[in-house]
Amino acid sequence: MFAYVARRVLTTIPLLLIGTFLVFSLTAISGDPLARLAQLDVDQAAYDRIIELYNLDQPIPQRYASWLVSAAQGDMGPSPSQGGQQTFDLVWERAKNTARLAVPAFIIIAFTAVTLGVYSAVKQYSKLDYFVTGFSFLGISLPTFVFGLLLQVFFGIWFFDWFGFRPFFVQGMRTVSSHGFVPMIQSHVLPIITLWLVITASESRFQRAAMLEVINSDYIRTARAKGLPRRTVILKHGLRNALIPLVTIWAIDFALLLGGAVVTETIFAWPGLGRLLLAGIFQQDLNLTMGVVVFIAALVVIFNLIADLLYGVLDPRIRYE
Amino acid sequence: MVKDKKYGWRLVAAAGALALVATACGDATDDAEPDDTDTEEPADPETDDAEDEEAAPPSDDYCEAGGEAELVWVHEQEPPDLHLDDPNNNLSIASWIRQAMWEAPYGVSAATTFIPELVESEDVSETDDGWRYEFTLRDDAVWSDGEPLTAEHVKGTYDIIMEGYDFETGEGGVYLFGSRSAAGYTLIDPDSWEVDGQTYSFTTEEFFSGYQGWFEPIQPVHLIEDAEAANAAIPDWEIDGEPLPSSGPMIFESWDRGVGMTLTRNDDYHGVNMENPDVSNAGVACVSGIQINFVADTDAQINSLLAGESDIIMTQPQVAFGERIATDDNFTVASEAGPVWEHWGLNVNNEHLSDPDVREGIAFSLDKRPVMQALYTPLFEDLLPETGLGNVYWMSNQPAYVDHQGEAGYGVGDVDSAAPLFEGAGYERNDDGIWEHPEKGTLTLRVGTTGGNQLRELQIQIMQEQLRETGVEIEIDNVPGAAYFGERPFAPEAIECALSGGEEGDCTVWDITQFAWVGGPWPGAGHNAFLSDSGNNPYGYQNDEFDAKADECDSIADEDERADCYNELSQYVTTRNIDDDGLVVLPITQKPSFFAYSNVNLMEGAVAPDANAAGPIVYVVDYLPAG
Repeated sequence: MFAYVARRVLTTIPLLLIGTFLVFSLTAISGDPLARLAQLDVDQAAYDRIIELYNLDQPIPQRYASWLVSAAQGDMGPSPSQGGQQTFDLVWERAKNTARLAVPAFIIIAFTAVTLGVYSAVKQYSKLDYFVTGFSFLGISLPTFVFGLLLQVFFGIWFFDWFGFRPFFVQGMRTVSSHGFVPMIQSHVLPIITLWLVITASESRFQRAAMLEVINSDYIRTARAKGLPRRTVILKHGLRNALIPLVTIWAIDFALLLGGAVVTETIFAWPGLGRLLLAGIFQQDLNLTMGVVVFIAALVVIFNLIADLLYGVLDPRIRYE
Repeated sequence: MVKDKKYGWRLVAAAGALALVATACGDATDDAEPDDTDTEEPADPETDDAEDEEAAPPSDDYCEAGGEAELVWVHEQEPPDLHLDDPNNNLSIASWIRQAMWEAPYGVSAATTFIPELVESEDVSETDDGWRYEFTLRDDAVWSDGEPLTAEHVKGTYDIIMEGYDFETGEGGVYLFGSRSAAGYTLIDPDSWEVDGQTYSFTTEEFFSGYQGWFEPIQPVHLIEDAEAANAAIPDWEIDGEPLPSSGPMIFESWDRGVGMTLTRNDDYHGVNMENPDVSNAGVACVSGIQINFVADTDAQINSLLAGESDIIMTQPQVAFGERIATDDNFTVASEAGPVWEHWGLNVNNEHLSDPDVREGIAFSLDKRPVMQALYTPLFEDLLPETGLGNVYWMSNQPAYVDHQGEAGYGVGDVDSAAPLFEGAGYERNDDGIWEHPEKGTLTLRVGTTGGNQLRELQIQIMQEQLRETGVEIEIDNVPGAAYFGERPFAPEAIECALSGGEEGDCTVWDITQFAWVGGPWPGAGHNAFLSDSGNNPYGYQNDEFDAKADECDSIADEDERADCYNELSQYVTTRNIDDDGLVVLPITQKPSFFAYSNVNLMEGAVAPDANAAGPIVYVVDYLPAG
């Protein structure tokens, strides 16, 4: 097991190097930080400052190498679009804010996706199955920005018109330390529901398909023939195998949730990684963009590794050699 | 492997607990959010219409009628820092925030005129040495740290601006902006300064008509000693770990990047200069502070206002206002004509547009009225002329305004006048109805703007449709966001073409550009868009006579004579009245600056927004929270 983990970690290093080089290169050539100076009638000093900040007088591979050496030592450089704050500190602070949404959202998503998927499969072609299928297609086809804004309108405006109070905040992050427990909950609910709908919709479909395949397999039929209770057959023997494909999806979804839900954070003014990434891209802040991208890439690698290890837990036939 | 069911439940319980902990226990840093009063039941809405409102007399007890609350402003852009000379900066939002904290000798009224702010009296007179300017600041002016604001602060501000500048070569300087010359500071004789208490004076060799815009804003030089210190302190508005002191009604408190910024009331504020016709409150601000929340999405901003979580918003594009807010009695949409003017700029080095007859043909063919009727009149009614703007030096709400393009017959879709011009230039209508030249081909021109700006995109689409009917084919060539400028009209190779008269660089980067310039009470600030050697002139217009005339206009002391002179300059570039090879710009309209505020949370809003990039909190003293 240890050797497997070590080998997997080592193989991710060249993957990260290639990935970061591609992102660095594409980001570097996608915009010219000097271009905006042309319309400002500035002195040469302004140009020199920007050139020095981004090493623009060097070729891209050399710039990437400089960045990589610094990043490997934990120094991702200052972020000009964020007042020169250190990129690493910024990413870490925002990651904590994003985790406030991502962790509870993921737990709710995992629970509901499995429940809906299993029920839908076990009760195939029942009213419940049609309902869950309809819900899933609605969630998949409804863009996040539409659903998020609809929630804001519903709970922020219509709900008040009908009942005279607003149960949730439509914008901003509130913490226990700054506002208290109830406002904290009120500010978290709508963005979590937004994340929940979109991801649960697709995951429940995966779960349903996997469960259908499993419950129609021979060993399940055998288990039933042996007289095992239906509940035990489904939950102990069926669900465990049906979870394997979903674990892969969970790994990716959770990593991406922790990496920041760009649209959800933008709509709900949530100070997370997604908005930070947007700021880096739109303001051509190379250090910031790279910092967030590397963080997300690392999360994807780590959670994929965890998923691979979980396969062995769920299916004893899988051995790590 | 999880074999024991108990372990499974423990795992679920632990995960649940972890989720609650992650949700509940944030760091204890200051998270800047709207306060909890947002969920209160609203009071009876005020239905005052800002445009119908008459100016109330100045009052010291203005605030007594209302309650006390923080003003929550939700805005789409967050400035990278608060240093206006930083090329990374987003100038508008940084300027708007600073307006509430630092004052200047003169401010700008809603009618885009200079009004005294810190200056109590001025004396400008001609002497044997040139022109002598003497100003006296108000006696009670004071910084929020208790330091009196004196003429020494004005002199210190001048010293910071000019530090390192070489008068002989015209180069150097610690500040990044190369705008000293354009703003006229280089005209001031550095040895002529005299400072005494609240009075300061200096000399220029020639009169400079933009003098009221000098030293804006006055900096706290008792703490910021030189340019290096200014460049270090201003971006984060902090010196020695403390916020910079204010001379305005608000004091900087904190900035949680990516979330918001908090300003608090300056209780020692000396009050707005009551010569300002736009302000009613003579004392300190009624609101306890300003919470600025940065929300990128326009619909989300509007939702926050509708949900009562914010008090004011100032969205782009403004068309969104009309759909959801302008008709709701719970909100007031406040607007002024403003100094920002949209235009179509013509690349005179384009093979079609190099012929002035073609340019004039397009000017005749273009009908600005459909644009006004579709995008502006429904929201602003008669705030703007129905035929749009016809002058690039004076705006329609300024007394000296003359509609030069209107007088020339441009901008109303006069196809009959356009046709002979196109024919004279060698064009004939082809089977598709488009003008076609035997050598240059069809009159197809690319028009580009900042993609994603809904208002501008609609503007182009309307004019594209309208010009198609008159035989001019328009292809849309937008580039998303501000990148448009660097990739099209201000691309280095395009500017090289413009400055070299088409001899060098690449003259095919763009054909027609649509964006806005910002005017102001002193029109001379706009010369740079048309001067022969200016990097801010993308159109390629070059005329030595115009350049000399620009200097001449700036030095005319008589106001009426000067106004006429600027009107002459406008005709050079908007018509062929003076320069037959002129007409390089088709002004479309002033873009009204405006914002919406909640009548539920506020009894009164400040109704003079953005006169000169001032923003919605420039008169924050007038915001009166509901009781």
